[in-house]
Amino acid sequence: MARLLFTRLALFVPTLFAASVVLFIAINVVPGSAARSALGVDATPQAIMRFEALNGLNRPLVVQYTDWLGRALHGDLGTSFQNRVPVAPEILKRLPTTLELAVLAFLVANAIALPLGALAALRHGRRADVTISALATVLGAIPNFWLATLLVLVFSLHLKILPAGGYTPLLESPWKNFTQMILPALSLGLVSSALLLRIMRTTMLEVLNSDYVRTAHAKGAPEWIVVMRHALRNALIPYLTVGAVEFGFLFGGVVIIEDIFRLPGIGSLVLVGIINRDYPVLLGSALIVTFIVLTANMLVDTCASLLDPRQLRPREAGR
Amino acid sequence: MIAFTNYSIRRHGLLTVGAIIVAAVVLSAIFAPWIAPYSPYDLDVTVMLHGPSRAHWLGTDEVGRDVLSRTIFAAQISVKVALFAVAIGLIGGTIIGMLAAYCGGTVDTVLMRLMELLFSFPAILLAVVLMASLGTNVLNAMLAIGIIFIPGFARLARASTLSALQQQYVEAARSIGMSHSRIILRELLPNVVTPLLVEAAVAFAYAVLLESALSFLGLGAQPPEPSWGNMLNTGRGFMAQAPWLSIVPGLALFLCVLGFNLLGDGLRDMLDPHLRD
Repeated sequence: MARLLFTRLALFVPTLFAASVVLFIAINVVPGSAARSALGVDATPQAIMRFEALNGLNRPLVVQYTDWLGRALHGDLGTSFQNRVPVAPEILKRLPTTLELAVLAFLVANAIALPLGALAALRHGRRADVTISALATVLGAIPNFWLATLLVLVFSLHLKILPAGGYTPLLESPWKNFTQMILPALSLGLVSSALLLRIMRTTMLEVLNSDYVRTAHAKGAPEWIVVMRHALRNALIPYLTVGAVEFGFLFGGVVIIEDIFRLPGIGSLVLVGIINRDYPVLLGSALIVTFIVLTANMLVDTCASLLDPRQLRPREAGR
Repeated sequence: MIAFTNYSIRRHGLLTVGAIIVAAVVLSAIFAPWIAPYSPYDLDVTVMLHGPSRAHWLGTDEVGRDVLSRTIFAAQISVKVALFAVAIGLIGGTIIGMLAAYCGGTVDTVLMRLMELLFSFPAILLAVVLMASLGTNVLNAMLAIGIIFIPGFARLARASTLSALQQQYVEAARSIGMSHSRIILRELLPNVVTPLLVEAAVAFAYAVLLESALSFLGLGAQPPEPSWGNMLNTGRGFMAQAPWLSIVPGLALFLCVLGFNLLGDGLRDMLDPHLRD
């Protein structure tokens, strides 16, 4: 167990480092664009030079990166070009909103995908299976930002039962927070459930056709024990792995959904960074989102290994 | 013809439905100037935010432009961006994946680690970051979305190439002294291209989605250029007065994505029946 965690951490740190390099390069892919973007197209060369000198952008890219990385390791993600305030505290302030949205959406996705996927596999080829598969196909094709718009149209403007936006912290008013978060979470979660549902159905079908499930049936084990103890547990391993990837996609979606529902999270900060051409804000917030996605992937990988002991002892499993 | 269509639907239902939707979208994009009843840019302040009527079947927008015409013309942007983005991803990914598999060793490790890294980013986030740096226009949207697709195609190309490398015809080609480039182009490429093309159909759907998402955020196609994403974004401001502005472009986008998804799934089922379940 300790060895497994150590291995995962040993992979995580260089991946995060490499991710920061990729993001830094992506943001600085066009030299001089930061100053031009921040000052506008009419900026004089003198103004651009002054801006670059002020923000250290006239130094070689490698020097800029190492300087930024050194400060980032001490918790300093730079200072906003726009309002000269530190980026890290702003991200920390917005982090709970984004995490809450992502976790709620992930719960919605799993609450739909797990039971429906399993049910479709258990009723393979019957009407329930066809209906659930069709539902997954439709959900998988709906853009989350369109679904968000439709939900606002129906529940906020037409039925007037849920707010169209805004945010109240969970600890301040749990009920108000719930009413404000339910539509954003549904917009993200319903769309994300499509892939998870299909994976659950496929893996569950594979497991139900395996020898050990047939043996369990032959030994006279009750149906629910076969499903819960033998089938579901084994089907969860590939499901978890895909779930981690889907969590990453879902996290990408927060950029749009936070904008639609005016949620003060990191996703909307990414957009603020782009609209104001505020690269420290953009880089810092994008890095934090990547950090969260990579952490989720690592945790899910670890959970999958714990569920499947063969992954813990590959040598013994190979014998 | 009808009998053949009925047979196709029974045999390859998803594929046929997907192909019909995709054909409709692509044909609308190509023949938009002839199909659309109005120009997508024609303003008419006398019919601002008018609901669906005989003159404007799907209503008008905030400056009196015909929503149906703009929705039809928006297919052009989506198809164009998706086509180029998928081409960038397909070509880039195939080159990287095949090189990694063929060279092996350090080249394989370095290239595939890089691909895995790119794959770990949330796609829309990477697209947004790239757009911020490259500049917000349709051309850069194609490039940003194309870069995002490279890792997926590279992984698939590598896996297919590794499997093709085990075949006897590659061994035979080597034994007669064929050059590396000829082996890659003449022997390996034709054998890895089929799964890549199937993947391209699914990637096409995702490219349309990403383009619309970028345009929705104001980073892709810029108004007055019609795009389903920027039409939806504009519609947000008039949801109470003109709900059709939020419904029509979204429905077109949904159908387009659904069509490409069904086509991709259908092709996969047809070429590899083991994956059907």
